[in-house]
Amino acid sequence: MKNPYIPYEVKIVDAWYETPGDRCIKTFKVTFSDEKIWDTWSHQPGQCAMVGIPGVGESMFCISSSPTEKGYLRFSIMKVGKNTSALHELEAGDTFFIRGPYGNTFPLEEWKGKDIVTIGGGIGQAPLRPVIQYIRDNRDDFGELTVIYGARTSADHCFKAEFEELNACGDACCHLSIDVQEENWPHFVGFVPALLMEVEPSPENAIAVTCGPPVMIKFVLENLEKLGFTPDQVYTTLENRMKCGIGKCGRCNAGNLYVCKDGPVFSYAQLKEVPEAFA
Amino acid sequence: MAEKVLKKEKVGEALKELSKFRLFAPSKSNGTILYKQIEDPSDACLDFGNTTVPAKKIVFPQTETLFRFMLGNPELKEKNVEEEGTTVVFGIRPCDARAMGIVDNLFSWDYQDPYYLKRRELTTLVGLACIQPPSINCFCTSVGGEPFSEENLDVLLVDLGEMYLFKAITEKGEKLKTTLGSQLDEAPSDAVKKSGELADKANVQIKRTIDTKGIPEKLPTLWENELWKRVSAACLGCGICTYLCPTCHCFDIQDEVEGAEGRRARMWDSCMFREYTLHASGHNPRPTRRERTRNRINHKYSYFPSKFQVIACVGCGRCINLCPVNIDILEILGQVVDA
Amino acid sequence: MVDNAKLKDVAKEVISREDVRLLIGYRPGTYGFRARPAFVENSDQVDELIFSPACVSNLSSYLTLEEKTPLPRGVEPDLRKVAVMVKGCDSRALVQQLVEKAYDREHILVLGIPCRGVVDMAKVENRFPGVISGEIAMEGDNLVFSFDGKEETVPKEELLAEKCKRCRYPTPLISDLLLDDEVERFADDDYSDITAMEGKSTEEKWAFWEEQFSRCIRCYSCRNVCPMCYCEDCVLDRLKPVWARRSVDISENTVYHISRAYHLAGRCIQCGECERVCPVDIPLMLLNRKFYRDVEELYDYEPGIKVEEKPLLSTFSVDDKEDFIL
Repeated sequence: MKNPYIPYEVKIVDAWYETPGDRCIKTFKVTFSDEKIWDTWSHQPGQCAMVGIPGVGESMFCISSSPTEKGYLRFSIMKVGKNTSALHELEAGDTFFIRGPYGNTFPLEEWKGKDIVTIGGGIGQAPLRPVIQYIRDNRDDFGELTVIYGARTSADHCFKAEFEELNACGDACCHLSIDVQEENWPHFVGFVPALLMEVEPSPENAIAVTCGPPVMIKFVLENLEKLGFTPDQVYTTLENRMKCGIGKCGRCNAGNLYVCKDGPVFSYAQLKEVPEAFA
Repeated sequence: MAEKVLKKEKVGEALKELSKFRLFAPSKSNGTILYKQIEDPSDACLDFGNTTVPAKKIVFPQTETLFRFMLGNPELKEKNVEEEGTTVVFGIRPCDARAMGIVDNLFSWDYQDPYYLKRRELTTLVGLACIQPPSINCFCTSVGGEPFSEENLDVLLVDLGEMYLFKAITEKGEKLKTTLGSQLDEAPSDAVKKSGELADKANVQIKRTIDTKGIPEKLPTLWENELWKRVSAACLGCGICTYLCPTCHCFDIQDEVEGAEGRRARMWDSCMFREYTLHASGHNPRPTRRERTRNRINHKYSYFPSKFQVIACVGCGRCINLCPVNIDILEILGQVVDA
Repeated sequence: MVDNAKLKDVAKEVISREDVRLLIGYRPGTYGFRARPAFVENSDQVDELIFSPACVSNLSSYLTLEEKTPLPRGVEPDLRKVAVMVKGCDSRALVQQLVEKAYDREHILVLGIPCRGVVDMAKVENRFPGVISGEIAMEGDNLVFSFDGKEETVPKEELLAEKCKRCRYPTPLISDLLLDDEVERFADDDYSDITAMEGKSTEEKWAFWEEQFSRCIRCYSCRNVCPMCYCEDCVLDRLKPVWARRSVDISENTVYHISRAYHLAGRCIQCGECERVCPVDIPLMLLNRKFYRDVEELYDYEPGIKVEEKPLLSTFSVDDKEDFIL
């Protein structure tokens, strides 16, 4: 039996900055140092992995690539603490360690045939990216794809090139926003919940998925309700401090749910029953 | 089959025999009773109430290495628990043994925790029945235990005065019985009857009780109840109630480096600490001791039962006895019942 | 001893004041002879208040323990006073907190309790095991224990907390209201145990402390209960850089206790709470009193005596001794 605490080494194939600043976001494209791991590795959109460097530590991140993107995994990581700062030092050719995949997945099988609306803010787009990518790679299985995304400034937008490409190829309709007006910004100015109301997606045969800062999620959920989305049509992911990732160390619970095992993906209908969910 | 007894004058001999294994028994250090690895039988102290730190520390050490590494070298050397060999815990109280059974659920649901489970497999639990409840805050009978509970024990010893009745319960227990062979004697004909009488007596000596029926279902309905502020007002936010709880199992994982050598280790953590849930961003979903206390009680009496169908509390009373400011789980549960 | 009827009257008056939001006192515990902290927010709650030799806690710790959460927009912070009951020893924590400017003097209202000593609860429970509910009173030099419908008298010397047998300041050194007549100093610290320890060889001392620290489980109750350990972000919790690792072993435990003792040098006010709450009975006051004595001898300074005093280790005088500097 494989010891779940022992991570695999991965090699960075490519790495680039998504955003600048103190809390910059860097994307790593990695593959397993031991190619054989790919035979046993299988993940789905929504799942996470413990990412770290022996001697520094580990933290939980969502896998920001879709399983349909073969041969590599992606992680987009914001620099906030000790471990993420150490990870940001790494470049193509360097290695770090991961274990997983952990947690549940977006129920994409159930969503087949429906319109999908993703609503993301800041680094919250990272768990939504595999959903979008999965739909693109199985385009005929899904209805319309609407992507709503905002960040503080245009420089703080992750995955910029991908939004442009999405619009260009017609796979999705993307709506972007920034908080405060900038010169030459052709898109919406304001917070994501307001952009959502502007786009006004129809709840009919639709699923909404939202990830971002807690305060954004709070208002997005309210606005989705206003638009007629029922709680079981709305999905989000929770984030809590984690150590083991496998339902043992205790700390990630929100009420009686372990975010690492029972989540990170929850329907709003589920979370309405959990008092600590939005604490 | 004829029952066996361990005469008190032969306890030293028996411990000597068992010390060929990794043997733990209660021992006195500066007046505090703690489990200690015993090499010299005279270090063991069987005349005790209960140990301050529960026996969980033997199967779930406060700090343990997960793997070792050299900086810059991808090879990770997993800790081999097997090397620790057969372990005997001599004199564990029935509540602490029950607690291990409860914690087993956690370490074996979904992912198997190799360190804990291997150690459990290697460990034989020799229980010592409580002739008298070790403290006035014992309430094992309210949460499914008993002073003579055999649950999760391999052997139960009952103090009959001059000797201990030696009751092998499991295969591991039978094996231990064989190991001890000559140290054990035939039990007098009335030994089992006497033990039964002592058990009845012990049960009625438990003075504090609570009817736990309905508490797991009721707790979630009291989320915003004012009782949480009241019962947590005096809390200092220390780790006593959780570290010394035989069913608390939370841990932290830290990397430690000395020169070029490093290890990843896990160590007990406590939901009563502020840092426990503190996000890297600075946000804390449980910002005060009110939320932390509420989580502690909910975890034991609601979340854990909802997942594993058993209350994560064995009524050992440590959290009450040792709380510096007399926060009392029985009082809290009473308020939950009355709310 | 403080008359409990009078105490309730005073408390009622205090909590009814418009400028007081909270009164911290004592109430009976949940079992045995225990008493515990009480947090009174309105006059209906004063009836449970007591003072007795069972009131061991140093309540001044709560002034800095309160965790503040961000207020909703438009809500003003409640800046009214906190009233706190303190014994002589506890009052010194208030003085030292004020010396260090932990909060403003106007923030607190001090209810002083001249004190003839509190019990060592472990000794009491050893003497009267299995008592479900009982009370302790002090009559002269005796402690009177009432339980199960009977009374037993024990000379206080036998069950008093060790710190009380060394107490220099039985009457609070700071108070707005004194709840009883002043109590004259009835004891002093002769440091005999410290002297004995100093006389041991380095190897003996190390062996002693190694055994003590090896029991530590790092529950941090000693730190959390300490009225002088009020840093919002304790250096010993820091993970970047790590000063004391979270792993529990003799080396890290020693770092923890020695660091704490040094941080308390010239600040510890001898309330003994750290030693009282330690679940594994580490004699922490031996360390703290060693520093206390050194500070007293080197600088003729006792912390927690005068609010106007400057913190010892944040001030410099050309007359400061330096012959111990290597």
